[in-house]
Amino acid sequence: MARVRKALTIMSICALALTACAKSDEPGAAPPPGQQQGPVKIGVSLPLTGDFSEPGKGIQEGYQVWADQVNAKGGLLGRKVELIFRDDASDPNRVSSDYESLITQDKVNLVFGPFSSRLVIPAAKVAESYDMLFVEPAGAAAEVFEQGFERLFYAAPAIASDHYDYLADYLTGLPADQRPKTAAYASLDDPFAQGTAYGLRDRLAAAGVKTVVDEVYPPETTDFAPIAAKIAAAEPDLVVGGTQFEDSVGLVRALQELKVQPKLAAFSTGPTLAEFPGAVKGAAEHILSPVGWSATATFTGNQAMVGRYRELFGGAANEDAANGYTVGQIVEAAVNAVKCVDAAKECQDKLTEHIRKSTFDTVVGPLSFDDKGRPEQAHMIQQYVGGKVEIVLPEQARTAELVYPKQDW
Amino acid sequence: MNLLLQGLALGVLTGGLYALLASGLSLYFGVMRVVMVAHPAFLFLAAYLTYTVHTTFGVDPFLALPLTVPAFFVLGVAVQRLLVARLAPDNLAMMSVLLTFGIALTIEGLLGTVYTGSYKSVSMDYATRSLTVGGVHLPYDKIIAFAVAGLTLAVLFAVLVKSRFGQALRATIQHREAARLVGVQTERVAGYGFGVGLATAAVGGTVLALITPFFPASHWVWIGKLMAIIVVGGLGSVVGAALAAIVLGVVEGLVLVTVDATWATMMFYVFLFLTLLARPQGFFGGRLAHRF
Repeated sequence: MARVRKALTIMSICALALTACAKSDEPGAAPPPGQQQGPVKIGVSLPLTGDFSEPGKGIQEGYQVWADQVNAKGGLLGRKVELIFRDDASDPNRVSSDYESLITQDKVNLVFGPFSSRLVIPAAKVAESYDMLFVEPAGAAAEVFEQGFERLFYAAPAIASDHYDYLADYLTGLPADQRPKTAAYASLDDPFAQGTAYGLRDRLAAAGVKTVVDEVYPPETTDFAPIAAKIAAAEPDLVVGGTQFEDSVGLVRALQELKVQPKLAAFSTGPTLAEFPGAVKGAAEHILSPVGWSATATFTGNQAMVGRYRELFGGAANEDAANGYTVGQIVEAAVNAVKCVDAAKECQDKLTEHIRKSTFDTVVGPLSFDDKGRPEQAHMIQQYVGGKVEIVLPEQARTAELVYPKQDW
Repeated sequence: MNLLLQGLALGVLTGGLYALLASGLSLYFGVMRVVMVAHPAFLFLAAYLTYTVHTTFGVDPFLALPLTVPAFFVLGVAVQRLLVARLAPDNLAMMSVLLTFGIALTIEGLLGTVYTGSYKSVSMDYATRSLTVGGVHLPYDKIIAFAVAGLTLAVLFAVLVKSRFGQALRATIQHREAARLVGVQTERVAGYGFGVGLATAAVGGTVLALITPFFPASHWVWIGKLMAIIVVGGLGSVVGAALAAIVLGVVEGLVLVTVDATWATMMFYVFLFLTLLARPQGFFGGRLAHRF
């Protein structure tokens, strides 16, 4: 009996394998490119579970709002847009196989990028190998642009090291007697977080602001008091954190406990999240942070996006959703300009070429790209003023004056 | 010099917190030879419950303890009797890693479903102030953590040494068969021992909630540190774990202020390796563990 069952199992496995082969022979039967009908299929793998599930969902919502609006306008080149999502569980191996199968099995017309530099790099490798355009919403680390990708574009205002550019301009532009003299940097050992802090450090060091503490801590760090103790001993005018969330809160709390009172404090990422002011209470006041998108900005389509997001998902849109939406805006503009949308190399080449040399109006402002796909703009700088998030730099997007020096926390 | 003193003071206080967080782990291993990977997950489960009590009733987070401590004790007894006790005894250590890893994932998943993946935090006014003694700042939240740790460990120690239950538990740890021969109901005692271990997680979780913001996957970074502490201290020795926690806290604090954070984190593993090389049973392990 057992032998019969075993034979049956082997037979059914063989049968399955045969079916699979038969299926992969099909492409010959597909209609030639250019004459395809039906919806425009866009393939996306996102971290919908695991470490990056929160930002992953934000980006998914941004893509959905964009698709919804495009379809309401009649679609891309008259064809409806259909998004095909895969969940890569924040796993770099899964993300590669997801894009493989989206491109070869689902035969998507376009692909959009996943979240985070760690997943963008393996995903972009797959897209490049199939000559697919790869516009991505969240891969800002320097490494992303050092892989020799030719079809990758980062759809946000700036790469990590340019996030603080407006703040660096502001500080170096201050009269010499008001300019901070010393600065302390503490950064998470992560390419993105470090990139933001080091971008500012290098600009300020070149302008003569002395670096008195330059600390890097691993992601497992749970106790920030000793780092704050080091900063306290150096008494810097300026404290900069290359942070994510827990560490930004940990550092602010520890700096308060160690009675460090800098004239200015800036942290990446953490302060842009809605949970931040609750976690540090009154200490949020006057903390600066680079931010790629603002709900109040009047850039192309921004208010429509914020409104539609609220109707679809019921809450306030966040930066992740805006970044996803931006990817859609750029690809949409490119498709409309070159009048093609299929996976064939000629069409993907034309789209890539168009994006490389154009400037796009998006919800995060006008965007253009260098030859490696890096955006050429800078992040705005936000500050908590009177308990509210205000944009303080640059001047043209400003909703409040930058407060310097900051009040004690 | 002041910086060194500051590092030392912070290290001692943090070491107290580590002692509290690791005490349960040591107990499980002592009582049952169970490697409890899910202990940090239970810590954060307690932190979330504390958060709920704090935000719903607007009370001090420590007032959650009368609820969470008994609940965790019962939960611990249930986990031991219903799950751990069914594992095959011949390779219990290995199987318990798999089982408790599964429990940790389950807790993380449940927390993610109920509380979403966004960060939660309990911020009290006293958690950002500090006491200054001779130029050294002692943060109140760390002082509280240290005091709570001291109190919890003292109670734990008193229970283990003075009470009949403690005697039965120690007898079970020292020699299960012999304990059974003299009439100790080792099965039941083991269940209660597990319950006591989880009860310490309830206390530790409340303290953690006060100190750090958390999200469902926060527990992973603690497993390595806490495991290193109980191995250095000697598996099964509650006192050894407490002393190792203080020592490692101080080493971490001093290395942090003199070298950097990467080396400070590495110290846990350096000590772990040194212990395994020089004294694999840990500094208070082996026969010494039986004396607590």
